[in-house]
Amino acid sequence: MTTLDVAPAAVTVAAVDLDRDPRARLSALLGAWRPVAADAPADSGVVAGVGKLGGAEVVAFATDPSRQGGALGVEGCAVITTAYEVALRRDAGIVGIWHSGGARLAEGVASLDGVGRIFAAMTRASGRVPQVSVVLGPAAGGAAYGPALTDVVVLGPAGRVFVTGPDVVRSVTGEDVDMEQLGGPDAHGRRSGVVHLVADTDRAAIAKAGEVVGLLADRRTRVRPTADRPMAELLPHSPRRAYDVRPIVTRLLDEPGIELHPKWAPNIVTSLGRLGGGPIGVLATNPLRLAGCLDATSAEKAARFVRMCDAFGVPLVVLVDVPGYLPGVKQEWDGVVRRGAKLLHAFAEATVPRVTVVTRKAYGGAYIAMNSRSLGATKVFAWPSAEVAVMGPIAAVRILHRKALAAVPEPERAELEIALAAEHEATSGGVGRALDLELVDEVIGADTTRSAVSMALAGYPRRCGSHRNIPL
Amino acid sequence: MAEVRAEMVANVWKLLVSEGDQVEDGDTLVILESMKMEIPVLAEGAGTVSQLLVSEGQVVQEGDLIAVVG
Repeated sequence: MTTLDVAPAAVTVAAVDLDRDPRARLSALLGAWRPVAADAPADSGVVAGVGKLGGAEVVAFATDPSRQGGALGVEGCAVITTAYEVALRRDAGIVGIWHSGGARLAEGVASLDGVGRIFAAMTRASGRVPQVSVVLGPAAGGAAYGPALTDVVVLGPAGRVFVTGPDVVRSVTGEDVDMEQLGGPDAHGRRSGVVHLVADTDRAAIAKAGEVVGLLADRRTRVRPTADRPMAELLPHSPRRAYDVRPIVTRLLDEPGIELHPKWAPNIVTSLGRLGGGPIGVLATNPLRLAGCLDATSAEKAARFVRMCDAFGVPLVVLVDVPGYLPGVKQEWDGVVRRGAKLLHAFAEATVPRVTVVTRKAYGGAYIAMNSRSLGATKVFAWPSAEVAVMGPIAAVRILHRKALAAVPEPERAELEIALAAEHEATSGGVGRALDLELVDEVIGADTTRSAVSMALAGYPRRCGSHRNIPL
Repeated sequence: MAEVRAEMVANVWKLLVSEGDQVEDGDTLVILESMKMEIPVLAEGAGTVSQLLVSEGQVVQEGDLIAVVG
């Protein structure tokens, strides 16, 4: 049995608040639209159209759940590949609305070939036009991998994504699981990272997709210098106290942004929004979760986000408060070295303007990974509270002065540590050394961040990377 | 019932609630200490703290149950 062949009969559809008519779904996204591949047979199971979103052209297609559970045959697949050709020709973003059991069983290997052609078309379009998927019903087998190849996946309340459904899982592994547990909002929003956004209603899911494609496809609006807002007050008084970085991200952006993957790898925040009118991507370590450490999963999440923004010329703002990489056997065995390397690669190859703001600390390998000067940061700012070092001063002197510390009696050791740490900080801690070496360009008041960052980004020409966006 | 679990190895530094307390969404239940940081552990919904399974100074491992709110 191949994993792509999920019988249409196994697909049952939960009640949804939007009509199951794919035409209505395209209208919910685009309003008025003109059909693409209008000569396709009525029972192809896919409808495609082109319309406008915020003045920009967008292509969209939707599978038809009322025909064989939305399963894809040769003709339906051809509608989708045609939609991709149209999107590439018109340089338009493309949104796929999925509700499909996968490949049509009756058409055998021909339908598999059709689904494979969709994957190839998606890959050819990758990094050239933004691709967003909305999953409103079950999306099994090929219908799961379609969305997975696109830049951003939005899951509606009845959306379920899996390679093989509960029946197959039960017969092969004996695991008793329903569609929701297997591939619903918790499974993919929190555990797997397959979906970037979860919505409460079908209409909200479609609207989110529209917002995302609008941001990624906006190549005309640039960041302009913009007014400041108070930000220092969002940091806790104690430098040791963790805090939620998301209010800082929100205040940086003109309006609250769209946080991708909010529940998966929450120790790093990836948000799309606008600064001074122009679209930007914000990447921020979140001290509230895992102390803001980078780990295998968050590095991968961040790397994919950086590459997506770079491909579409969306400038990046990187907020850094990172104590380092998360230590532990689990991390090493999870491939924190291999997966962490993706973030280094993503930043080092990025050509889009990208500004770093060190808010509190940037230590060790995580300092390098978070868009350091050495990886090609356009500009590096630091708040007065910032510290850039290999590690915290106390930890550093414990290694550097191990013998001297061991030589003094226990009660005096803490005092000596503090004295040595102060000395160490004066010579190689804080942000002074990084300024001398031009690894930090400027110390800015936290409350002047918006103007400093927007001015820095406004001063650079629009650029984008010439690479695809492999779903890392 | 919402289970609140440790995300990483940490010392339990301070308990801010007791069993039976009413908490709101986002209230700090416990402050952990790890990576030289004080990390608040927040309630992910309103309810009563029905169980508090850690004490100050204790070490928790990743995945350990800290509290049950519901």
